[in-house]
Amino acid sequence: MRDLAERRGMNISVYQPAEDSGLLARAAIDRVQGRVLEVGTGSGWVAAQIAERTDADVVASDINPHACRQATERAEKLRAEGQRGFDVVRGNLVEPFRDEAFDTVAFNPPYLPEHPDGTPQDDWMEQALTGGEDGRAVIDPFLDSVGRVLKPDGEALLLVSSLSGYDEVLARAEANGFDHEVAVQESYPFETLTVLALK
Amino acid sequence: MKESLMDILCDPLDKSELTLEVDERDGDEIVEGRLIGTVTGEVYPIEDGIPNLLPPDMRDA
Repeated sequence: MRDLAERRGMNISVYQPAEDSGLLARAAIDRVQGRVLEVGTGSGWVAAQIAERTDADVVASDINPHACRQATERAEKLRAEGQRGFDVVRGNLVEPFRDEAFDTVAFNPPYLPEHPDGTPQDDWMEQALTGGEDGRAVIDPFLDSVGRVLKPDGEALLLVSSLSGYDEVLARAEANGFDHEVAVQESYPFETLTVLALK
Repeated sequence: MKESLMDILCDPLDKSELTLEVDERDGDEIVEGRLIGTVTGEVYPIEDGIPNLLPPDMRDA
C-alpha cells in the first residue's frame, strides 16, 4: 500500500469527515446506547462525536492502518482533554468481534460505484470511497454479517446513498431478517443520504 | 488497547477466543504485544496500541 502521502505529511490516504459523516453522527447521537462499534471509522470523527456526546462505550475499527492511527490520535486527544475517548481495532467489517457484543453498530460504507477500470487495490482513499461496480461490494457483506455481533435488541445504523441503490440495500437488509426505518435523511444536489436503522 | 477489549474481541478466522500476551504497557493501555487464537494458533500483533485483527491473507498491506 502507498505510504508516500503519509511520509509527505499529506492527508490523502484517510477519509476525512464530510456530509455523510455528519448525518451518521447525528443519527448515532440520537439513538446509541450501551456498547457501540463504528465500522470504517476513517479519521475517527464519528466515533469521537459519539464518545463525546453520549454515555456509550465506543469501539472504532478500520481496515486501513493509516485510518487506525489517525483515529487513535483523535481518541488520545479526547482522553488528554479529560474525556473517555474510544478504542481502535484494525479489522475487516465485524469479523474480529464476538457474537452479540454490541448494542449499536454504525457504518458509513464506501458506496460510490467504481470507475469502469476498477478500483486500484493499492490506493486506500479509493478503497474508502468506492464500493465496487454497483456501490454495494462492502455494504452487502456488512448486511450479511452485522446481525451476528448485535445483541438481540441491538440496532445497526447504516448510511445509504441513492447512488448505491437504496431499494437494493433495503432488499438485502430484509433478506437478512432486518426490519428497517429511516433514522435521518437529507437530499443534496446529486444524491440523497439516508441513515437506516436496522433491527 | 485496553485489556477490557478482550471481552468483545475474537479470532476473525473462526470466532474462537484469543489469549493476550503483553510486551509493553502504559497505564491500563497495552502498547505492544499479541493476541493468539486459542484454536487456530494464529498470531495477531498489537503495535502502537492497535490490535491488528485482519486475517493473515489481508494483513500484508
